[in-house]
Amino acid sequence: MLKYSLKRLLQSALTLFIVVTVVFLLMRLMPEEGYFGSGFEKLDEVQKENILRSMGLRDPLHIQLKNFYSKLLHGDLGTSIIYRPKVPVSVILKSKVPYSLWLGLASISASLACGITLGILMTQYKGKLWDKIGTAYIVVINAVPAAVYYLFIQLYTTSWFKLPILFSVDRPISWILPVASMSLGSMAGYAMWMRRYMVDELNKDYIRLARAKGLKNRSVMVKHVMRNAFVPMAQYLPTSILLTIGGSLYIEYLYSIPGMGGLLIDAIQRQDNPLVQALVLIYSSISILGLFLGDLLMALCDPRIKLEHQGGSR
Amino acid sequence: METPVRILSVKDLVIRFNLRGKTLTAIREASLDLYKGESLAIVGESGSGKSVFTKSFMGLLDKNGWVDSGSICYKGEDLARYKTEKDWLRVRGKEIAMVFQDPMTSLNPLKTVGKQVQEAIELHQGLKGETAKRAVMEIFTDVGISNPEKRYKQYPFEFSGGMRQRVVIAIAIACRPEVLICDEPTTALDVTIQAQILQLLKSLQDKYNLTIIYITHDLGVVAHVADRVAVMYGGDIIEIGTSEEIFFDPQHPYTWALLSSLPQLGIKGERLYTIHGTPPNLFKEIKGDAFAPRNPKALKIDFEQRPPYFEVSKTHKAKTWLLDPRAPKAERPKSIEAIRAQWGCYNE
Repeated sequence: MLKYSLKRLLQSALTLFIVVTVVFLLMRLMPEEGYFGSGFEKLDEVQKENILRSMGLRDPLHIQLKNFYSKLLHGDLGTSIIYRPKVPVSVILKSKVPYSLWLGLASISASLACGITLGILMTQYKGKLWDKIGTAYIVVINAVPAAVYYLFIQLYTTSWFKLPILFSVDRPISWILPVASMSLGSMAGYAMWMRRYMVDELNKDYIRLARAKGLKNRSVMVKHVMRNAFVPMAQYLPTSILLTIGGSLYIEYLYSIPGMGGLLIDAIQRQDNPLVQALVLIYSSISILGLFLGDLLMALCDPRIKLEHQGGSR
Repeated sequence: METPVRILSVKDLVIRFNLRGKTLTAIREASLDLYKGESLAIVGESGSGKSVFTKSFMGLLDKNGWVDSGSICYKGEDLARYKTEKDWLRVRGKEIAMVFQDPMTSLNPLKTVGKQVQEAIELHQGLKGETAKRAVMEIFTDVGISNPEKRYKQYPFEFSGGMRQRVVIAIAIACRPEVLICDEPTTALDVTIQAQILQLLKSLQDKYNLTIIYITHDLGVVAHVADRVAVMYGGDIIEIGTSEEIFFDPQHPYTWALLSSLPQLGIKGERLYTIHGTPPNLFKEIKGDAFAPRNPKALKIDFEQRPPYFEVSKTHKAKTWLLDPRAPKAERPKSIEAIRAQWGCYNE
């Protein structure tokens, strides 16, 4: 187990390193206007050259890379230039991340709880009413573009249930709609996969044996079917969780939540290179961490994975 | 054998399935008596209803199947009337247990082998924790799993096929059943392991005083383990008798055909005997003898009326018009006579 985890950890670190380096190098190809902040039209060539030199951007590439990494290791993500001039990126993020984080966490707990319950219900009443309702729900959610039902929810439920239309931190009631909207999609996903994996397990021979043993239907469901259905789920859970925490661009925009959802696009459009670099770093670490955790979780659930030479069935 | 005690009695059992709106009759008024301590083998080709027949004793029919009529009497209760899960839980494992065909898929891949056996022990023997664990070790030793301490903590993927089948048997035994149904227990195993598993089942039968039903289409297995043999065709038991009677004195044309197609009886250089045609269509009502359409020497009455059981001896009966006194004398295939010559010498 330890060997497996270490190996996966090293692989993840290597991936992260490659991604960050590639992005760093690509950033060097971006137009240089982004480094001068507002009013760069007034600068002449010499001044521009001086600014770039003082930022270390005229150093050879490997020196720049080294400087970047040594700063990074000290927790310095750089300073924003245009988005909020002269403010460290970490400060900008600090004010935005909590909203996305809490919103994401709330929506994950809601969608996980509801999605998995729905999946289990659908399996238990396979082919009956619950299953059909669930399937209809999943199909609708997947077929209708999210933007449509997000808008629908915002427009109608606010008037039907007298819920606030915009988000404000100190009114917990204003959290309901964004969280609900964010959960709908992933809930459908969880329900669909849970049902699928459970039905897969149900048709396996060992379930027959468990029944023949004299186990109650309930125990068979809980101890054998559900537990085993979690294994394939486990692999994708962390990634989907972390990406939700990364913020939903559209939801944050709709309810004007000051989260980090729109930040990356904003930063790219305005050529705020240090901010872009920092955000890409964060997003890629999030998804790599997610994959890593997924692998770990799966290894925890499935004893077959620990022995490397035995693998190959997956 | 001392006076046999009847433990299970099936009468005129009819089992139907609903398949895409059509009704299929899998078991057609089959009857069977099972005696305590015996080994009965049920043989027949695929689709003859062997598995369905025995699954109905445990209420393990697929969701689209049901017992239409008839009775399954066990210890004074009619299992055919059981409807709820609660009813069946009194029988499953505790009274009748089952060993399935494929040991590679019969175990939960994510639970330790020990825990899976322990589950059965806790359920049926009322033991808990350490005592239950010790009972698992004991059973492991019984079924020939060495080093039980270590094996207890291992997962199925760390076991070979034969070892897994031992675990499956351990689970069945752990329930302390009266009747053990072995659904093709050796089909998925290689030949050397087959013999070991059959030997194991035999020794467990003595130790735990089990009544065993073997479902198989391997007549070699039958000759090895069974006291009595029931031959199934088209959802009915068409001939039943002791092993000797079935092998040396078969009466039904289907039994003849089945035995003639044994590879062991083939003569080198000659084509092996095959049964022509296909098994009966179970969606349609079968008139007369189900085997008649595939029997080149079928009589006229075989197509018109279903034969009743004709008794050959106290233990041997068959459903064929050939046994009717009015029937013309039918010649048994030569190869059947060869069985006695070939096997008789080392079976007796």
